Amino acid sequence: MFNRLIVALLLLSAVAVAQEDWIRTGTGLGVEKVRIAVPDFKPTSTEPANAELLRTFNETLFSDLNYAGIFDVVSKSFYPLQTPGFPQEINLDAWGSPPPSASMVAFGNLGKQGDSLQVQGFLFDVKNAASPQVLGKQYREPATTDNARLIAHRFANEIILRLGGGINGIAESKIVFISTRSGAKEVWMMDYDGAGQRQLTSLRSISLSPRLSPDGTRVAFTSFVRGTSDVSMYSLELNRMVTFPRFGGTNVSPAWSPDGKQLAFSSSMRGDPEIFISDANGTDTKRITAFKGSDVSPVFNPKTGSQIAFVSGRTGLPQIYIMEVDGTNLQRLTDTGYAVSPSWSPNGQFLTFAWRRNYGPGAPGGQDIYIMDIANRKWVQLTHGSGINDYPSWAPDGRHIVFESTRGGSTQIWSMLADGSQQRQLTAAGKNQQPNWSFR
Amino acid sequence: MSAATIYDHQESWKGPIAASAILHGALFLGAVLTGMLGAGHGESWGGSTAGESAMNATLVSAAVPLPATNAEKENVLANESKGLAESTPAEKTPEPEAIPIPDKTTKLKPEKLPRTPTTEKTKTPPPPSNQVPFGQGGPVSGAYTMFKSTTGTGGMTFGPAGSFGSRYSWYVDTVRRKVSENWLKYEVDPSIGSASRVYLTFDIQRDGTPTNIQISQGSGVPSLDMSAKRALQRIDTFGPLPPDYAGSRVSVEFWFDYKK
Repeated sequence: MFNRLIVALLLLSAVAVAQEDWIRTGTGLGVEKVRIAVPDFKPTSTEPANAELLRTFNETLFSDLNYAGIFDVVSKSFYPLQTPGFPQEINLDAWGSPPPSASMVAFGNLGKQGDSLQVQGFLFDVKNAASPQVLGKQYREPATTDNARLIAHRFANEIILRLGGGINGIAESKIVFISTRSGAKEVWMMDYDGAGQRQLTSLRSISLSPRLSPDGTRVAFTSFVRGTSDVSMYSLELNRMVTFPRFGGTNVSPAWSPDGKQLAFSSSMRGDPEIFISDANGTDTKRITAFKGSDVSPVFNPKTGSQIAFVSGRTGLPQIYIMEVDGTNLQRLTDTGYAVSPSWSPNGQFLTFAWRRNYGPGAPGGQDIYIMDIANRKWVQLTHGSGINDYPSWAPDGRHIVFESTRGGSTQIWSMLADGSQQRQLTAAGKNQQPNWSFR
Repeated sequence: MSAATIYDHQESWKGPIAASAILHGALFLGAVLTGMLGAGHGESWGGSTAGESAMNATLVSAAVPLPATNAEKENVLANESKGLAESTPAEKTPEPEAIPIPDKTTKLKPEKLPRTPTTEKTKTPPPPSNQVPFGQGGPVSGAYTMFKSTTGTGGMTFGPAGSFGSRYSWYVDTVRRKVSENWLKYEVDPSIGSASRVYLTFDIQRDGTPTNIQISQGSGVPSLDMSAKRALQRIDTFGPLPPDYAGSRVSVEFWFDYKK
């Protein structure tokens, strides 16, 4: 949709102007995605345990970069036969010329020395023969498979940070969700790629809509452990529940403000379900909305913290609204159908939500994930004709969205790029619902 | 009155009837008697009185080699298989064309002789290997940047402090990609088909934040100028400058080519 980019780039150091560098570049024609080659890392140790660590590392790194959304990863079948492990071993011409035609190569070596795992990773700009090295990193961790995965995540994040324009990679981010695999609906947590799934709460009750705090230390969620639905709080530092006041009535869908100091939730403590804002520890409760009809699922604008998107049934079927954090400047975003579960993009520019555009018995179309530009109300449908899709949550890099979907029979958690491509399933055991991506 | 005298003549029936009855009875008796008396005479064939001399069925001994029962065998000669030696219908030789009747109306064309060109056509020369076609340069490489920068006017130096574009072309590429990602074309007046270039200048600080964003040369279309400026304002950071770069900031001149 944009013009392709043309770049002519000049480097002028105008001494007369200032002692600084000039870049001249522009839009026009050009490649959008960086074409990167990720050859397998070279083993520097012959220990038998090294092979398993190396395999985990290579798979994780390749998958991280492939799923980053900003790279065009060269298929491994195109690679030259000789894979480099050290900077002096790389043949830039072989990587830059047609079979791979990569513009970047990420390579390195991995070895288990004693109990520690030592990894050297490099990122080379193939097209720049004069000073090819973009990145050189060395990691040393205890030799476990988890650490091999962790190092791969970190190295991938470094590459994504450099080449993705200063946006941190999400390889180390987490997703909290609700799973029934232990018998009751409990809060679980996993890595962004579905690895390392672990159970947080064991309340043997019903838990819903978990939300990680911006600093990643707490999970706020709705719990039925005392019979009524209350906002509950779990501390990831203490690994146990921490107290949160009960307000009476039905209290659901807590959401954190981007500074982590406030919590918005929906409560019927004064009759009608309305949006309330309280401090992070539940004090100083304020009501924001005052309309007949239920108002639920508030979410703060993560960029400014001064707007709230929420779902309201004041006109009948639920619709998405936005308002200032004090309840003023109310605007309705969706005009028809049945729209629920809003989530802001990290730059505050878009909302993603689940929408049934044609609602009613026999109405065509299903419930799908949409994104909408707040400024001009233009929307784009991301999922098409595959089960009921709900609870989208934006990743901190703004490039990915996690959501739940009933495609394939049972409710599972899926993730995709924010343009709807690269949809992949993250969970398989039990029923898994209501994912929420961490703030970073 | 006289009746017909013929009826008056009464002939006696008794004599012939009695004779007929006697004769029938004698015939009947004769038949019965011949049947009774003649039954005892002669022998019946195969009757119980038949002796050993009658015909006996003898079992065939197993020792006699009988031909095996004929299993379902394909007839080698008469089956549906076309066999190896498939017979194909004889090719029809096309009938020889009739000799055309010479037509006086058609003119005989003189055979064209291959002409030798009087002057050798100049072939298009192969593109020089040291040139990059406009707009197809791809990611900027060091040599490309250096080549371009030599075309600049005087007063420029290429010291280690002035080689940002050639040393960190990946960073320049990132800047270009990020700006074009954040440039929203719908902000431009839809009635504009194309416009002249907008030049923007800005600085990238050490931590990657763009500052001092200015339109150095506008296009004459205010909405396009604003959309270009907003693209920059929308960007929080380009990512920190390369760690081994000594300077504290980099100045960028960025142009926007708008074409619908």
